[in-house]
Amino acid sequence: MLLVDRVLGNRLDDGLADRLHHMEHHGTVEWLVLPAAELARRRFRALTNRGAEVAVALPRDEPLTDGAVLLLEPDRAIVVRVDAERWLRLTPLDLATALELGYHVGNLHWRVRFEATSIEVALEGPEETYRARLAALGLDTRVETRLLQPDEAPC
Amino acid sequence: MSTLDDRAAGGAEGRAAAARVGIGGPVGSGKTALIEALIPVLHERGVDLAVVTNDLVTREDAERLRRSGLIDPQRVSAVEAGACPHTVIREDPTLNIAAGDELEVRFPGVELILFESGGDNLASTFSLDLVDWWIFVIDVAGGDDIPRKKGPGTLRCDLLVINKQDLAPHVGVALPRMVEEARAVRGQRPVILTDARRGAGVAEVADTMLKAVLF
Repeated sequence: MLLVDRVLGNRLDDGLADRLHHMEHHGTVEWLVLPAAELARRRFRALTNRGAEVAVALPRDEPLTDGAVLLLEPDRAIVVRVDAERWLRLTPLDLATALELGYHVGNLHWRVRFEATSIEVALEGPEETYRARLAALGLDTRVETRLLQPDEAPC
Repeated sequence: MSTLDDRAAGGAEGRAAAARVGIGGPVGSGKTALIEALIPVLHERGVDLAVVTNDLVTREDAERLRRSGLIDPQRVSAVEAGACPHTVIREDPTLNIAAGDELEVRFPGVELILFESGGDNLASTFSLDLVDWWIFVIDVAGGDDIPRKKGPGTLRCDLLVINKQDLAPHVGVALPRMVEEARAVRGQRPVILTDARRGAGVAEVADTMLKAVLF
C-alpha cells in the first residue's frame, strides 16, 4: 500500500506537464479515479486503474483536484482523475409548479444549482431514484427532466 | 501556476491532519453509548483520541462523556447546534470544524476526532468538508422497516451500525430480515450489528473505522 500525504502539483503545472505527457506515452502513469462528490475527503483508501491500493492522508488545507499528482517517480506516476458529476435538469411547466418543486427540492436536501427557468440537481445515486421521488410527489407530469451531457455540466 | 520545485521549496509545512469521523443517527439509537464503548477499544489500539459532541441547546452528551471516566474531560468539546442538528454537520459545519481544529491545537498528537451529531432523522448526512468517513447508527427498537425506507443517512454513510441487536426478540423485530434489507439497499457498503451496552460488535466497528482512515 502506498501512503500519500501531500499533493505534488497538478498535471498541467509547468515542469510536470511535459514529463507526465512523456510518461503517458510509455504507459507509466496510473490514474486514481474519484467521484467529484468524494473530493472533499482528506483521508481515504482507493485503488488505481491498475489495482494498486493508495492510502491518502492530506492536510486539511490541501485541496484535491482533477489532475492532482500524488506520486512522481522516474518510472511511475499516480494522478487523480475526477469522474464527471451527473446533473439532472428539472424544468417546471408553470409558476405554481416551480414553487412546489423548489419547496420539495429544499426539503429533500438535494444539491442544486439554479438556471434561468430550471433547477439542476447533482445526482448522488441512480437517476431513477430521483425520477421516482418526483413521481411520488406528483411532479413527474408537471416537471420536464433531462440528464445533462458531460459537456453541459457546470464546471 | 506553481511548479514542482515551488512546492518542494515550500517545504512540508502542512501535515496530515487527525482523521475525523462522524457518528450520526436518530434520537436514542445509541450514538453516545457507541462512543462510550468505542473509547476503551480505541485506547487499547493505541489511538490518540478526542471527541466533539453536538446537542440542540445543551451540552448533555459532552457532560455525559466527561463524567464517564473513559476519557480526559479536556478532550471532549461541545457544540450547541441551536437548530436542526444536521445544519451544523452538513449545511454549515464551521462550528464543528473550528471545534476539531481547536482540539488539534490543544492536543498536537491527536490522531482521531469523533464528531457525534445531535439526534436527527433518517435524512441526516455529514458534509465531507467536516469528516473523512461517517457512521450512521440506527437501532432495532426503532423498527425493522428503517432500512427499507432508504433514508439518505442509511444509504450514504460509510458504515451502517444496527444497534441494540439484543432487543430484537423483545420488540418483535425479525433481525435477519432487517440486516438483509440493510445490505440490499447499501450495495457493497458495510453493515455491522452491535449491542453497544455490552460491547458486542464494537471491536468490529473500531477496526472498520481505523482501517478506513488511519494508516
